[in-house]
Amino acid sequence: MLEMRGITKRFPGVLASDNVDFDVFPGEVHTLLGENGAGKSTLMKILYGLYEADEGEVRLHGEPLSIKNPTDAITHGIGMIHQHFMLVPPLTVAENVALGLKSSRGVLTDLDAVSERIVELGETYGLHVDPSAPIWQMAVGEQQRVEIIKALYREAKLLILDEPTAVLTPQEVDQLFVTLRQLKDDGCGLIFISHKLHEVLALSTRITVLRHGKVTGSVPVEGATRESLAQMMVGRAVKLAPDKTEAKPGNVALKIRGLRVARDRGGDGVRDLDLDVHAGEILGVAGVSGNGQMLLAEAIAGLRAPSAGSIEIAGTEVVGMTPKQVRTTGLAYVPEKRMKDGAIGDFTVSENILLIDHNDEHYLNHGLFDFGAIKKHSRQLVDEYTVKTPTLDTPARNLSGGNIQKMIIARELSGTPEVLVAAQPTRGVDIGAAEYIHTRLIKQRDEDTAILMISEDLDEVFGVSDRVAVMYEGQVMGIVDPRTATREEVGLMMAGVEQDETA
Amino acid sequence: MSDFFTEAVLIATVAGGIRLAVPLLFASLGEMFGQRSGVLNLGVDGVMLLGAFGGYYAVLKTDNVWLGLLVGVAIGVVFGLITAVMSVTLKAEQGISGIGIYLFGLGFSDLLFQKWVGTPLPIKAFPKINIPVLSDIPIIGEMLFRHSAVVYIAFAAVPLSMFIINRTNFGMKIRAVGENPEAADSLGVSVTKVRYATLIIGGLLAGVAGAALAIDLKIFQQNLTNAAGFIAIALVYFGAWRPLGVMGGALLYGFVNSIVLQLKTLGIIPRSWSDIAAMAPAIVTILALVIVAQRFKPPAALTKPFERGR
Amino acid sequence: MEKRYLWIGLGVVAIVAILVVALSGGDDDETTETTVASGETTEAPSETTEAPSETTEAPSDTTEAPAEAFRVAVIAPSAQNDLAFTQSMVDAVNVVSGSVDMEIAITDGTFIVEDAASAIRDYADQGYDLVIAHGSQYGGSLVEIAPDFPDVSFAWGTAADTFGLPNVYAYEAASDEGGYVMGVLAAALSESDTVGVVGPVEVGDAKLYVDGFAAGVLGENPGADVKIVYTGSFSDVALASETAQAHATAGADVLTGSAQMVVGAVGVAAENGILWFGTQANQAQLAPEIVVASQVYHWEVVISQIVAQVQAGTLGGEVFVIDLANGGEVIEYNPGYEVPADVVAKADATIAGIIDGSISTGS
Repeated sequence: MLEMRGITKRFPGVLASDNVDFDVFPGEVHTLLGENGAGKSTLMKILYGLYEADEGEVRLHGEPLSIKNPTDAITHGIGMIHQHFMLVPPLTVAENVALGLKSSRGVLTDLDAVSERIVELGETYGLHVDPSAPIWQMAVGEQQRVEIIKALYREAKLLILDEPTAVLTPQEVDQLFVTLRQLKDDGCGLIFISHKLHEVLALSTRITVLRHGKVTGSVPVEGATRESLAQMMVGRAVKLAPDKTEAKPGNVALKIRGLRVARDRGGDGVRDLDLDVHAGEILGVAGVSGNGQMLLAEAIAGLRAPSAGSIEIAGTEVVGMTPKQVRTTGLAYVPEKRMKDGAIGDFTVSENILLIDHNDEHYLNHGLFDFGAIKKHSRQLVDEYTVKTPTLDTPARNLSGGNIQKMIIARELSGTPEVLVAAQPTRGVDIGAAEYIHTRLIKQRDEDTAILMISEDLDEVFGVSDRVAVMYEGQVMGIVDPRTATREEVGLMMAGVEQDETA
Repeated sequence: MSDFFTEAVLIATVAGGIRLAVPLLFASLGEMFGQRSGVLNLGVDGVMLLGAFGGYYAVLKTDNVWLGLLVGVAIGVVFGLITAVMSVTLKAEQGISGIGIYLFGLGFSDLLFQKWVGTPLPIKAFPKINIPVLSDIPIIGEMLFRHSAVVYIAFAAVPLSMFIINRTNFGMKIRAVGENPEAADSLGVSVTKVRYATLIIGGLLAGVAGAALAIDLKIFQQNLTNAAGFIAIALVYFGAWRPLGVMGGALLYGFVNSIVLQLKTLGIIPRSWSDIAAMAPAIVTILALVIVAQRFKPPAALTKPFERGR
Repeated sequence: MEKRYLWIGLGVVAIVAILVVALSGGDDDETTETTVASGETTEAPSETTEAPSETTEAPSDTTEAPAEAFRVAVIAPSAQNDLAFTQSMVDAVNVVSGSVDMEIAITDGTFIVEDAASAIRDYADQGYDLVIAHGSQYGGSLVEIAPDFPDVSFAWGTAADTFGLPNVYAYEAASDEGGYVMGVLAAALSESDTVGVVGPVEVGDAKLYVDGFAAGVLGENPGADVKIVYTGSFSDVALASETAQAHATAGADVLTGSAQMVVGAVGVAAENGILWFGTQANQAQLAPEIVVASQVYHWEVVISQIVAQVQAGTLGGEVFVIDLANGGEVIEYNPGYEVPADVVAKADATIAGIIDGSISTGS
């Protein structure tokens, strides 16, 4: 039904889409796979009229088509479920659906009629929502249902789904897939964008892989494996599950008791949390974003004052200490927002590496920086951690996400810490760098560091951790062994079902 | 204090508060439309001044107050359009472009006044309309239903605004564009058109506010509004971007002013306190603003120009 | 679609711009030209294309003027035809120019002190002989500017302080004297024995006038009720109007008021058939049927003295006062309102009494 031929789109300094061909048949799920920045979103924004292509043509049902704006796309039966939901939070479900449509009552709204149709669609496709509820009151999974209903209400026959699973629990993903398969069977064409390989394999009929704006391969799902797809994405063979030996846990290095941390907007984001991390083990913290993981990490690092409870690092109570004091007890911290909290974009690589140790006497000569020593230390770390940078004096913001993260990890691990807190260590990082970071974390574990790894990526949690704690609404729902636990089990705990009930 | 609670003073206080609220009510309702769609327009006072002069001049020349109001409408529409061009199409920084319009209105209204009129000659006022039956109710009738025609128009604009915002498709688009323009755009709602429309409505009401003020006072003078346009902007925040709230704010401001005046006239507020008492409306408004600010959030896209696919 | 709006918008802006140019260039006589220049100074930056052309015009005019002409600049806070504070000075300078060969420049509407300060400095820089900063709020600026231009004479008021600077004159009005006379008139004409005052802020000239007025009313009728309300603003016309309304409710049948915002109050007085007494300028034309009389300032009494002294080489150091005795303050009756002869006689006796010192205004 859809053909895109020779699509090219240039942004200043970047060729975001380079002569890309792409097509969709009715009744299929055609997946666009690629790393961040590979050009998936650009291609879809062109199809939906949010960008204009510099070259190339789009045909729908064989007819050449010029899509100048989203209205054109909607008129031609193209619907898009955006990664960041295109919903208006204070408006109700019905209002969000009716927005931009002609009302049957002229200038007045016809929300009751819209609501009826929403309920009908919901029954047909298992998308149950309350049409009169405002969006801001709804869970993320429900909001996504509204997004899909919006498209179906407009009788979309071609649906673009831009990373629809990024914010869902595994159960919600399963539910979504049921709906999507039903749409496929009804003859809709679906374009699925993702970088989660197991989801791609579970849902797709065909897979097209993009790298640096170019198509590197287009294959049917039969015969495709995670390894073969990863290789197409990265351009070389990748080990998806890192090699690791049995952990040899030692004493408790990070001990958390009765921790409560308040949210910015009031209410406790972390509630009476107890947790032990032993030297020489990686404790993975799984959970859907916003369930208190970030508050936990910030509290440990001394960036946020807990309202109650204690945190001990290597036997020292750190609650009440400044971030700098906490570091002296042996903590290393890889923050979630790496460009905000982890590195200073305008500083050079060398300066960023020095950020923590700038008072260390190794780098001072009578109170002044000893630039020779600094350079030597930086060079050594950059080489050891394979940070790809043109020079040590390149500003950090000019590096790719993966290399910035490697730079931060190099800095944090250079002091052989007692405890490492790593939040989302590989989010937005290319597969190659992620692979390296995982290996590095395991190596650090083997050097007896206690590692608390917070991640929303279940593949990462299962592949790297020695134990997995699942957080839901600020509490630990349970701790499982990744070698024996199933995704189902963890998924239920992420949705708030206690461990005992799942067993 | 007992002097204050006499029938005559109470009636005068309420009627006076309502009169003082009217220009603010027009202007704040207009500004509210713009802000609900995500545009902060700081030029209200300038447009009010231009509308005030235009309305004054038209009445001076023709003795027709309705023509005066219409001139206010026309000037308001033109400057609403100019505001829209600057802040929507040209994506100018909203604060700066608004101050530009304010300064232009302040200077240009005075320039035209000096050129064309000179001496502030009094003009005809709006006819007083006593609403049948209602105006005969003792006390209340005199307080509420014996006003000049624009007063009723101003208060009728409140339910009309509520209806437009809550019950029409256009109103739904305004709310959507002000909260999440990307979402509205992705559904084919033209953010540009909606914002042009709200800014033109805002300009229109600011022009009317100015004309109503000048015709009610029967006079024009340099800086006649005395920054009422800026108070109107504050009242939009005070009213939490809702027509009823805005009306409450305008009335509160009017009433505090009129109560303070009556208390001064009766000598209840001593003269030595006079200048401090003059600040009462501002203080009450600021206090109320602080309380409201903690409960309600402004439209999420307020002050942010929209660019597709950003 | 969006482009079409852009063009409509630009068209509107263009029309407005053309209008400004047309208006500015339309007239040739000098007073209007200075009016335009003054309007431009307070205007939006968007009009910058016009503004410079206006300001550059002023100096080019001066080169054409005869070299010996005495050059006077007036900087004042409100409009030059406000029928009040500013107009009183503009009229005075025009009167003096009838007897002295003078070139006059006026910048009005500079209620923002910073604008006034830059105008004062500009005129001094252009070598004006006398720069009149007509507003007590300009004193601070003058202290900074005057020492930089020792050859230029500055005058400011209403004030009684020359800051000890040799090139600064100060002038003020004994407005309590005229106020007292009007108070006597008001008390004589009031039937309800209740009179109201619409004041701005209780300082300077306004306070002096209001206190004098109140003393006059009580001097004539000790049992009268004088209700004095200061609104807290010199420019809030709507509030002045409501104040007059409040006075009317309270039973006042005679009103007066000071500062430029009283135009709103005069309108209310006219509506309610309440008598009005004006000050600073003749306000009869605002409401011919109810204005009884106005205290008019004739600053020319002071200005002509200052001009003579500057021409003689004394650039400052003196404080001048206008009052009933030196003819700087005059009670002007509105010919459209007939005041009973006995009341006029009473007023005349009061004036005589104040001049010879037998009547004290209380301040």
